[in-house]
Amino acid sequence: MTALYTIWGCYVRWSQRWPALAAFVPFIPLIAAWWFIAWLQIFPPVFLPGPVEVVQTGWDLTYKGILSEYLADSLARLAVGAAAGMAIAIPLGVFIGLNRKAHEFSWPILLFFQAIGDIAWLPILLVWFGFGLTTMTFVIVYTVLFPVVLNTVLGIRSVKPELGRAAQSLGASPARILFEVTLPGALPNIITGLRNGLGYGWRALIAAEIIVGTSGIGFLMFDARRAGSVEEIVVGMIVLGVLWYIVDSWFLAPIERATGQRWGLVTS
Amino acid sequence: MKSLALENLSKTYFDPYRGTQLTAIKDVSLNVKEGDFVAVVGPSGCGKSTILNMIAGFVPVTSGRILVDGREVKGPGPDRGVVFQSHALFPWKTVAENVTFGPKMRGVGKQERAKIAEEYLALAGLSHAADQYPAELSGGMQQRVGVVRALANNPDVLLMDEPFASVDAQTRMTLQEELTRIWEERRPTVVFITHDVSEAVFLANRVVVLSKGLVLEKVEIPLARPRSWERLVEDDKFKALSNQVLQLVRSA
Repeated sequence: MTALYTIWGCYVRWSQRWPALAAFVPFIPLIAAWWFIAWLQIFPPVFLPGPVEVVQTGWDLTYKGILSEYLADSLARLAVGAAAGMAIAIPLGVFIGLNRKAHEFSWPILLFFQAIGDIAWLPILLVWFGFGLTTMTFVIVYTVLFPVVLNTVLGIRSVKPELGRAAQSLGASPARILFEVTLPGALPNIITGLRNGLGYGWRALIAAEIIVGTSGIGFLMFDARRAGSVEEIVVGMIVLGVLWYIVDSWFLAPIERATGQRWGLVTS
Repeated sequence: MKSLALENLSKTYFDPYRGTQLTAIKDVSLNVKEGDFVAVVGPSGCGKSTILNMIAGFVPVTSGRILVDGREVKGPGPDRGVVFQSHALFPWKTVAENVTFGPKMRGVGKQERAKIAEEYLALAGLSHAADQYPAELSGGMQQRVGVVRALANNPDVLLMDEPFASVDAQTRMTLQEELTRIWEERRPTVVFITHDVSEAVFLANRVVVLSKGLVLEKVEIPLARPRSWERLVEDDKFKALSNQVLQLVRSA
């Protein structure tokens, strides 16, 4: 019994120092089950490789430099597309959120185009821009745009009217109200929009790379299918999941904690 | 702090559902002298909050005039400080930043603002909470910040819209006593909206009873200052005045 307590104590201490460790623990039974099913060989190993083979393949790909190169390509595309998307979406969302007429006019259009999924644009984009970076960037920008615009509008419109009134009777000009009251008030929603937008953008990028790509994680996975390497496909899938976990928990979640949660606007 | 005058004020709203005009305020005239404390009471729907919103400039008047220190009110401005029922503190600013928001908008420098924060937080007994965020404070503390935030901007008139209605009874009495203490020290011109009769009598020099958009009665409150609940709760004059105002409100 005491040995169990000692192990438990160690785990608690270590997981506090390394939160990523605590995030990995839920995967242990999952990996064990995967390993067990692969070991039983219900499916042929070519269809379902075990964890060991996949790790081996991942290591090989890393060693050859392919994985890191493709990963860098994918991340760069996402970063450029997301930055461009945000640069358009946030000002647009602020404008629509502040202006009743603009809201009435643009809302149906926004909803219409939001419904046309990112990938649904690929056929026409391929006709227009061909198999290249422009097509991929367009898809990411498009995907990031809508969640950010819609959430920014929502955030701007959900700032309590008393806060604007309070600022006015403390002598704030309309411009100061925008920067001191409206934007900070909308920030938690804007961050939610970014979170969704980046998540969708990441998925759209992989899809675009599968169809358009010459490099990137999506291309890696699709290319592996051609080569019949299920291990490489699974490596790609794992990379996608791990990477998103890192982006979300190392970048987005801390921002959320430092703003909305700290201010009591969002309950954790 | 300056005087405030309401001249034949009226307010009608258009009700889009019924397609008719709704009269919130029929005809209200009121003079508040410099350094006076006037409470406005009345049953809900009597238009007391509408009056405050018009003085603050949040809603336009239908007819009549509002004069602050002789100047006609056109929209919200820093000459009229407002304390809201929902405190309306900026959640993303610390207590000190909230209190010095008005001075910051006037372009007061950082060092001067630090002094203002220190002075007014001390006035509210909140010096220890300067760097906390509003969400980390209790309801009573939030409302204290709301009061000194308005005061720290040196308004001509302080408008208070049922500021203590949403705190618990114990805290409310403490806040009322603190407000009288601050008023007795600094003598700001105050218009205080409330539905709580004893609160109005306890705080004000004059209680205006509103009914259906008209002034029903103005009651002078000649109670000695400094006032405290300990003294007034058994005071016959306080009881008689409260009773008188209560009868008026109930008949309204």
